[in-house]
Amino acid sequence: MIQRLLPFLTLILLFVGLSIASPDNFLTKTNLSSVVRQTAVINLMALGMTLVIISGGIDLSVGSILAMGGLLGTMVMEKGQPIWLGVATGILVGCLCGWLNGFLTTRLKISPFIVTLGTLGIYRGLTLIISNGLPVHQIPPSFSYLGEGNLLGVPFVLWVLVACAVTVHAILEHTRLGRYAFAIGSNPEAAHYTGIPVAFHTTAVYAICGMLTGLGGMIEASRLMTGQPTAGQGYELQAIAAVVIGGGSLRGGEGSVVGTLIGAFIMGLLANGSDLLGISPYLQQAIIGAVIILAVSVDELRKR
Amino acid sequence: MLLQLDSIQKRFGGVVALRNGQMSVRPGEVHLLLGENGAGKSTLMKIVAGMHQPDSGAILWKGQRVSFRSPAEAARVGIAMVHQESLLAPHLSVAENIFLGREERLPLGWVSRRRMLEAARRLIADHHFPLQAEWRVGQLSPAGKQLVEICRAIQHGSSLLIFDEPTSSLSETETQEVFRIVRTLKERQMGVIYITHRLEELRAVGDRVTVLRDGETVHTSLLSEVTTHQIIQHMVGRELSGLYQRTPAPAGEILLQLQGLSRKPVLKNISLTVRAGEVVGLAGLIGAGRTELCRAIFGLDPVESGKIFIRGQAVRIASPREAVTQDLALIPEDRQRAGLATALPLGHNITIADLKKISRLGFFLDHDAERRLTEHYVAKLRIRCSSVRQLAGRLSGGNQQKVVIAKWLLRGAKVFLFDEPTRGIDIGAKVEVYEVIDELARAGAAILMVSSELPELLQVADRILVMRQGEITGELTRGTTQEEIMRLATLPQGGATMEGDRE
Repeated sequence: MIQRLLPFLTLILLFVGLSIASPDNFLTKTNLSSVVRQTAVINLMALGMTLVIISGGIDLSVGSILAMGGLLGTMVMEKGQPIWLGVATGILVGCLCGWLNGFLTTRLKISPFIVTLGTLGIYRGLTLIISNGLPVHQIPPSFSYLGEGNLLGVPFVLWVLVACAVTVHAILEHTRLGRYAFAIGSNPEAAHYTGIPVAFHTTAVYAICGMLTGLGGMIEASRLMTGQPTAGQGYELQAIAAVVIGGGSLRGGEGSVVGTLIGAFIMGLLANGSDLLGISPYLQQAIIGAVIILAVSVDELRKR
Repeated sequence: MLLQLDSIQKRFGGVVALRNGQMSVRPGEVHLLLGENGAGKSTLMKIVAGMHQPDSGAILWKGQRVSFRSPAEAARVGIAMVHQESLLAPHLSVAENIFLGREERLPLGWVSRRRMLEAARRLIADHHFPLQAEWRVGQLSPAGKQLVEICRAIQHGSSLLIFDEPTSSLSETETQEVFRIVRTLKERQMGVIYITHRLEELRAVGDRVTVLRDGETVHTSLLSEVTTHQIIQHMVGRELSGLYQRTPAPAGEILLQLQGLSRKPVLKNISLTVRAGEVVGLAGLIGAGRTELCRAIFGLDPVESGKIFIRGQAVRIASPREAVTQDLALIPEDRQRAGLATALPLGHNITIADLKKISRLGFFLDHDAERRLTEHYVAKLRIRCSSVRQLAGRLSGGNQQKVVIAKWLLRGAKVFLFDEPTRGIDIGAKVEVYEVIDELARAGAAILMVSSELPELLQVADRILVMRQGEITGELTRGTTQEEIMRLATLPQGGATMEGDRE
């Protein structure tokens, strides 16, 4: 039980430790808000990744999907369309990219690692072709509210994140799709023998992951106030790391929304704390890497 | 004495796996090790083979006290184990597997393929094994893989060979082949320990028997001195009320009918009917097409020609999903691989085929309703578990099988295809599975049951169909004999004229 709570305890410990080590800078509204804003994008991707990993898959292309969603969404706004249409476009583009990942995985029966390694390149390449490598700048100023605004005193993205987390949690615990994702991830063969439409639900899971990533792309664009075709590089590994730190298993069938959120915030606090304490960003990367290995080995010990 | 085990104790965390393991093996002896699942047989043997270390107790090897810290150390003194699950490298050849880890090395670490192949060929020829040194191990049958493990043991000069339940996945002829080889090992004065559930068949090769119960050796004797009934009593620790015999229920309408189902070369012109309340047994050797028939009916494999009727209606079943909507259920041969999500709670396994039953507003899963429903089935099928949240993989084989059955009961399946329903299940639990099958039949289900254990078919089935090389070669009624089944399963006679009639 203690080991199951370990990610949560780690998060608390980090929080308390940083409050003591850097009381003037850490425990301020500005700083905490910025932690939330910084981690929101990874958090959203990680939520989608949780679904994918539970179903026994993996999506390496989310970084590229993020860029494509952000770019096309901002291009719609650049053409004078309303902000909501831009955001919807970003989400829809993400959904289509995710759907294609699922479609290729299930129809070609290729491992998702390979498929999404391929689409990682394809989506990035397409994004660069569409944008000609140039970022989109002509964005209505009010769009910045999505990433930088506040609602009822807290960052607006926190509301978005909470809404998405509750939704994904409900999907996992209270819908057929969620239950099937666990079943497929735990034993795809048995799921097939049981008459579960494995291909359909696998594809749906990737599509949802794409949607959340597309939304993440719009938040990223809103924070930068540009549509960057090079955005999101390396994000896929952070999203996967968040899921894994939170108790998700790459063998499928295991993972939770709460765990993933904790995992993402642990990484967020580590980065923030390192900044505040003046630890070099090079060392930061090594620390986060070590945390990933530590979290998984503790989880493996628990299962023995 | 080759091997002597004295008061071996072993615990894993809080669980005591062995409290008092006693056993001895003489050279040239085949020693059967029996016990229910969880009795500690495998643990005891893994200690002998160096995979586990005992907490206390002594291992004497040829009179010397020894302790093995790894399988390699046990192998060095001459102890080899043929595992339940093959531990061979599937992508390598037979020869490479035989020499794996012990390759003849030339200077610079080169491995001489030619010499290795020659040595492997000699070994195979010497023992008349039906193997080729060049074959890839991944393409071999389970029996073939065992032969390769036996070759390994012989090549490495082992003097004790441990078989962990090897017959469970072998056909009758393959089993006989393994027995023949065991006899030759015996002649070479090797000691053999055989962990098994299939006591009857092993009487032919065994010399002595040791029974473990709850981690303790409760019985050791010459095989000739005990009856099977006595051994079973030692295993379960209580009096078993004779042999199970099902009383047939009155059969109702025809629920499943096949007409000329073909999928060449594995299925040829299969026609059969199963009525409500009827248990039809499907006998035959491994490879006769019984599993293939179940797969074809259930939509797992495509059918070339022929028709399937459910309740008299011709249906087309192209996927398990379509089969399930026709109220069909398949309880597959390999529970762990195809029947269960072992990492999920058993309750989730029970509801997974029919989540509509626990959905509110058409989509929202109601956890309370789920718990109540699954607890109902747990009680109904007498599934022994700590709670419905217990992981399915933690249950015993018999209880896992009941979870699979519960899944289909909840779904309201009417036609059950059982493929080897009691494989790897304890003797006591087997009877419980028979009782569940009986209850299903009484409730009006049609049951087609594949089994390689003939006594089981004779006890449970109302009729027995025998398959050979993709064809049904005969139909036998209740009260037939094992000999009659084997005759139809093996001999081409009689079948030839039937073939002629059809074509």
